[in-house]
This record gives sequence, structure tokens and C-alpha cells, in this order.
Amino acid sequence: MFELFKEGFIKTFIRDNRYKVFVEGFKNTMIITITAAIIGIIIGVFVSLIHSLAENARDKHQTTFGAKCLMVFDKICTIYVAVMRGTPLAIQLMIMTFIIMGGFPNKVIVCCIAFGVNSGAYVSEVIRGGIASVDYGQTEAGRSLGLSQIGTLRLIVLPQAIKNILPALCNEAIAVLKETSICGLVSVVDLTRAGDLIRSRTMSPYFTLISVAIVYFILVYGLSKAVGRLERRLAQSDRH
Amino acid sequence: MIDIKNLHKDFGDLKVLKNIDLHIDKGERVVIIGPSGSGKSTLLRCMNMLEVPTSGKIIFEGTDLTDNKTDLDKVRCKMGMVFQQFNLFPHKTILENMTLAPKYHKMMSDAEAKETAMKLLTRIGLADKADVYPSTLSGGQKQRVAIVRALAMGPDVMLFDEPTSALDPEMVGEVLELIGELADDGMTMAIVTHEMGFAKEVGTRVLFMDEGVIAEENEPKAFFENPQNPRLQDFLSKVL
Repeated sequence: MFELFKEGFIKTFIRDNRYKVFVEGFKNTMIITITAAIIGIIIGVFVSLIHSLAENARDKHQTTFGAKCLMVFDKICTIYVAVMRGTPLAIQLMIMTFIIMGGFPNKVIVCCIAFGVNSGAYVSEVIRGGIASVDYGQTEAGRSLGLSQIGTLRLIVLPQAIKNILPALCNEAIAVLKETSICGLVSVVDLTRAGDLIRSRTMSPYFTLISVAIVYFILVYGLSKAVGRLERRLAQSDRH
Repeated sequence: MIDIKNLHKDFGDLKVLKNIDLHIDKGERVVIIGPSGSGKSTLLRCMNMLEVPTSGKIIFEGTDLTDNKTDLDKVRCKMGMVFQQFNLFPHKTILENMTLAPKYHKMMSDAEAKETAMKLLTRIGLADKADVYPSTLSGGQKQRVAIVRALAMGPDVMLFDEPTSALDPEMVGEVLELIGELADDGMTMAIVTHEMGFAKEVGTRVLFMDEGVIAEENEPKAFFENPQNPRLQDFLSKVL
């Protein structure tokens, strides 16, 4: 039994310096996850900001040129979110790689962008939900004290919304981490693809695939635990 | 001070305010009563443009608030508003609640803002609560803080939107007492309330709203003792 394990370990990791493939894959998985999460947050904040400004302008029946531009932007953002949520990520990744960024040499960067753009749609919904969870009376109180719309959002609404947004954002990052396992579709060697490459060389699927699964699990489980702790901390500050 | 001309407000097909004309002079204390859904809160909220009128004009100290070019944030600094649900900022201490807007508008230095706030808190006997969060206060205390928060801006008029409706009965008195004190100081105010005794005592003029129009207005004594409008007679017979 132990001999079998040892043999599998050597075959999978040691022989021909195969561990280097795993390291490379792990590195790419982390690069893509982190970059995509950052891109996603930037896009998400932007989209939700446009949305809440446009919604406000609509409520107030504003008809200025600026307000109309906002509405158009908001419409575009709505379509973007619908498309990102309504089509499979694998297809989006392939479209990004082979059509939109067709000749682009660095496929890791293409993956970062594809996952980031997809994540942005989900992040925008997370932020929108977080903002909506804050009682509208808070906005009215801010406005009645003469705070501008942006000022109210910044000083009153967002600090309260962040308690709901932050844990959900971390969960979104975890989701991105798992989703990056399809990078192999466009020949980027991420952790999954690395395992697959080694598997095809060693012909022993058990060891490679389960090793890869364990690495993902440790990452995801660790992150989830951290989110849980964050959630409890935020809940505590609610009680004062 | 406040001049409302031909004010209409529709929510979709529902006509909430129908051609309201109202003039409030400096030093007046106008109390608005009426059955629910009669438009009294909407009228009050139109006065500082939290509700944007469908048509008509609202002129405050010579400025037309319905003009798109008017800087509403600046105007709202001169109009304090108190809400039924208090709307204190739960993520800020009592002191921060009070100094947030004056600091935001750079009306005073941090030290001055703090001094003003502490003076007001001392006046309502809550100076010892300056550094706690709103969740630890009783309803009556919250509403009194909300009132002095508005006062900290040095408003020319105070708008009260059912300030005691969300309070436990034993806390109504302390809030009404504070509003009464402001009245004695000569503060101009518009108050939507269901407290008839208070209306009679504090108001210089009482309006009865019904189905989006001001059905009757008079000085308090005549208003309550000798109502003309049959709807008002009916309303008073039910609430007194």
C-alpha cells in the first residue's frame, strides 16, 4: 500500500521534475484568480454606481443631458450583466480568446480579463443588493441634511452596505477560483490543466486528480473560513 | 418664507396632491392633519424636494426649488427635517451623527461642530450619550437626537413628518415637549401629526388635508371647536 503511494508520488511529482508543472499551474491559477477578482470589483463598483445614479435620476424625473447619458450607460450595463449571467463562462472564455482578443500572445492575461469581466457582472449585483439592503430612510436623512447624492452614498449608505457586501464579495472570489479550472480550454496551464497534463503522462488518474482536488479544497476551505470569521466580526460591530 | 403654488404630485395614475396653494410665514407653526393617504406627508416632503412635484412651484426664501438650476443641497441646509423613523445613522456615534453634516458643508471647524453638538445634547440632557451608538438609545431619545441633529445646521424652518408616530406612548411626551420648546424659541415649522392636543397647543394654524387638497384651514381654536367641512367634522369625531 505504502509502496503504491510512494510510486504514485514519485511518478506524479518527482520524475522529470513534474512538480514544476504543478507549480506553474498553481501560479497561473492564483494570478488569474486574483487579477480577475480585482478587475471584477472595479467593473462591479462602476456598474453599480452607474445603476444607482441612473435609478435616482429616473425617480427624480431628471431630463438633463447628463441624466440621459446615465440612462443610456445604465441600459448598456444592464445588457452586460444579463449577457454575462446568461451565457456559459466557458463560451465567454473562448469568445474572448479566439474572437475578441484573437491574436493576443499572452493567454494568461486573456484569462484574467475574461474571468474579470464575467465576475464584474456578479460583483455589481452583490453591490447593488448591499446598497438596497440599507433602509432608504438613511438616504433621505442624508439628503435632508444637504449631503449630495454621492456624499450620501459615500458617508451614509456604503459604510452600512459594506457589511453585507464584503462577505459576498469574498464568496464571489472563491467562485472565481473554482471557475478558473476551465482555463485548459484555451490551453492555459492552470492547476487543473497541469494535473491533466501529468495524468496523460503517468496514466494514473487517481493520484494527479485527487492531488489537484486537495489543493483546491485547501484554498477554498481556508478562504471560506476567513469569510466566516469576517462575517462574525462585522456582525459584532453591529451590536456595539 | 415658503410659498407653494399650484402644486400637483402624481404617483403614476394616483393623484396625491391636487393643486395645493400654501403660504407659510416666518415664525408660523403650521400643523397638518388628515386621514392616512390624504397627501399630508407628501406635501411636507415636497417642501424640501424629497418628493419632486409633478408640477407647480415651491419657493423658499426667494429661491424656486423646482428650478433645475437650484442647488438643493444648499437649500436643504436651511430646512431641517425630522422623520417618523428617526433615521439616525447607526454606524456613527451620536456626536458623529450631529457633526457629520456641519463638517461636510464646512460650515464650522471640527471643534466648533463638536461644541455646537455638545451644547445641543446638553440641552436635551443626553450629553452623556455623545459617544454611544444610536442602537443603545430609546425611541424617544433617538427622535430627540434626530431633532437636534437637524438643529445643528442652524435651519430657518423645521419640517416634522409624524415625529411621534413610531414611538411607544410613554415616549411621545418628551419629544413633543422638545418640539414645543422650539416653538417657544420662535422656530418656523411645519408638522404632520396625529397628536390633536399638540396641534391645538403648538400650532398657529392647522390644515386639514383630504384626498389631496387642503379641505380646511384655520387657527387652532376655531379649527377644533368649530369645524366647517363635514369630512373634518367626521374625522375629528373619530380621533378626539
